[in-house]
Amino acid sequence: MVGTEAATTPAIRVAVGSAEYDRAAAVLEAAREAATDVRVVETGPTGAAALAPVVLATADDRTTVHANVSPDRARELVETLDDGELATDDAHAVVESDEGVSMAETGPLAIGQRRALARCGWAAPAALDESLAERTRDEPDDLREAVAGAGLLGRGRGDGHTDESIAEGWATARESDGETVVVVNGNESDPAVDGDRLLLESRPAEVLDGALAVAAAVEATDVVVYLNEDDELAAQRVREAVESVDADGTGIDVVAGPDRYIAGEMTMALEAMEGADRLEARLRPPGPSEVGLYGRPTVVHTPRTLAQIRAFAAAPDEFETSAADPGSRLLTVTGDGVAGPTTVELATDTALAEAVASSEYKMACVGGRFGGITRSLDVPASAPALTGARLGTEGGIELFDGATCALEFAGSRAKFAREKNCGRCVPCREGSKQLVDLLRDVYEGQFQPSELRELSRVVAESSTCEFGQAAPRPVTTAIDTFEREIAAHAEGRCPSGVCTETN
Amino acid sequence: MSTDHTGRSESLPSVPSIDDPRPHPPLTEHFNTGTATDPDVGARETSSLTVDGEEVNVGEEATIIDALEEVGADEDLSALCYYDREDTDRIGPRSECRTCMVETDEHGLVPSCSHPAEDGMTVRTNSTEAEEARSVNLDLVLSDHNLRCTTCGKNGRCELQDAAIEADVEVPRYGVFDNRDEYEPIDESSPFIQIDRNKCILCNRCVEACNDVQVEGVLRIEGSGPDTRIGFQNGADEMMDSTCVSCGHCATVCPTGSLVEQDYTDAATIPLPGFTQENSIGKTIGEDYDGQPNPATPMKGNQTYEDDALGEADDD
Repeated sequence: MVGTEAATTPAIRVAVGSAEYDRAAAVLEAAREAATDVRVVETGPTGAAALAPVVLATADDRTTVHANVSPDRARELVETLDDGELATDDAHAVVESDEGVSMAETGPLAIGQRRALARCGWAAPAALDESLAERTRDEPDDLREAVAGAGLLGRGRGDGHTDESIAEGWATARESDGETVVVVNGNESDPAVDGDRLLLESRPAEVLDGALAVAAAVEATDVVVYLNEDDELAAQRVREAVESVDADGTGIDVVAGPDRYIAGEMTMALEAMEGADRLEARLRPPGPSEVGLYGRPTVVHTPRTLAQIRAFAAAPDEFETSAADPGSRLLTVTGDGVAGPTTVELATDTALAEAVASSEYKMACVGGRFGGITRSLDVPASAPALTGARLGTEGGIELFDGATCALEFAGSRAKFAREKNCGRCVPCREGSKQLVDLLRDVYEGQFQPSELRELSRVVAESSTCEFGQAAPRPVTTAIDTFEREIAAHAEGRCPSGVCTETN
Repeated sequence: MSTDHTGRSESLPSVPSIDDPRPHPPLTEHFNTGTATDPDVGARETSSLTVDGEEVNVGEEATIIDALEEVGADEDLSALCYYDREDTDRIGPRSECRTCMVETDEHGLVPSCSHPAEDGMTVRTNSTEAEEARSVNLDLVLSDHNLRCTTCGKNGRCELQDAAIEADVEVPRYGVFDNRDEYEPIDESSPFIQIDRNKCILCNRCVEACNDVQVEGVLRIEGSGPDTRIGFQNGADEMMDSTCVSCGHCATVCPTGSLVEQDYTDAATIPLPGFTQENSIGKTIGEDYDGQPNPATPMKGNQTYEDDALGEADDD
């Protein structure tokens, strides 16, 4: 195993993710050419795009972290390590570690706590230290009871149990007729939410092991990993991990669905997997745990949920199980003042502000495409705290500076809802059109907050799936937070100076 | 994956080694209706519910609306897209229009047509939230409907018109679909059935009648978002190029004036000079067809040669 050998052999690790693929691949090639004695390991990305390409050099329980490495610099690092030295002078960080859990004391890699992300950028993607699946096959009750006792919640909009009890979903699947399937829903087309892609590119073996452990816990016969068609690197690494994990007879399929936002919704994911030529949401209840893929009971989890389950099983004592939402949440920070998308992991009792390096932003959209708008990130990263603050629980924080107009932003998200919905139910399909029109009326001099709120309420409460249920949130929270700024537009004035006559 | 302008994409790779235990009627295997495979939403067992304070017992397969009907509590609900016919369970619930929303203690607002009845459930039809949701959703349906009732062949026998009258809609909040530039032309190609998509509410009844009842596989839902529309499974632009056999079931189930038998398109039009059903839209397609000798479209005739199981048409 890569992790355990590290202490003995000097090693160079090159973190290669899809976002920096060409640059990082060139660095990896240069390192491999230059290496004589040192081991060169290709790892997945670290989660900090601004630092890429990242190279780690490890010798004698000490690791130097190098950011923005060029191929030439990679050669030098290899040669230095070949001489038994570490280039500490210009390193982004020097850590007394050969485990990769803590990779820096400052900068994006030092933010929060790295449990699910512990080995991202450190271990080879297909490497697995400890198999939870194996343990669960021996004692399936253990995982079920532990997860139920801890009250772990599903992570991400594509999970079958978003912000809800995972254990209850497992129980429903076990009670339902038919052979159970576990779906790993890794299809996420929201560029502001990168946690699943990071795990799939960096720790596919852990994601698969988590899925196989769930399969053992719910007595499922099959695991299907569902990705985006564009995610070639994730698909390749998942396939390699499939070759290396011990599935013990459980069937594993790796399939890809369209690169469309709706394709990540749990039932549209099932439709895509069944070969539908047009995607639309299925009615519920019953949900997928009862009637899912090809009508079979289906446990749908995101890679984030599976990583959380694994992190919990590895160190249950570190989870505050009395909390309403124990564990941690992956958050991708993007936007103004952020050098590159940065995915970090915060304990759920930690404020979102911890994830953000700068405090110079006008507003943040928390919760992905249909997140909530806020001025303050002083909100804990737990599902009840985020929901209570009218923010979304999707792991995304987008920052916007003073050159962003709250009305223009809310309008752009409403337009996304209007253009990208599946078209099935009236509140979402027609409601999103009217939402855009009501926002447009503001520019014509008519700001009708109570009409906007009424429509938003009905769209949120009567839409079939989470697309429509979440779609009005940017609009309602923009009104909550920036009502005066929006009202100014009705008088022909955009306080941010963004909106022009043509809007 | 490539996606054409209708949002229809090439078939996705289905999961290769996962068994599909569902029974498939052999005739419908190749139908692409464009609609989701919904789970069976009926209750698994008999149940006893409280509806607006009254105890109601309903049987297996019941949804909440069955309980409402038992005590007459469905009167305040438009339940527009719900196709309530004893003789077929193959149409709906589509649960598209959401004008049947009710409040439950257990799950908050739910669509009564498609939510399973549950034992011990408490249902209220008259909560503020439920009434607001039904009212807004009915107005949303109207916002995308060309409300040209006076030139419509279904005037006086239109379920949307009835629903709007019963709900006392005087001025719909969001107006109606009256932008003539955006109207779709009326499809006049078939001498038997006319399609006016400007009046379509996308309830999907026609698609289910065509596929699940008549097993013809002609109609489908295509596109997404604002471009969602009724189309043809063979990709035709006009009905005459589809594989329609003119059985008329789609027109029978259509709640509005979208699918109307040709002889009746003007049947209920108020006779004012210059106002006709056709010029209410002003655009038509398919008029170059000068009738057809029998109810089956020409494509239906060709279909037998082209549509054998392997798709290998004989060249001679």
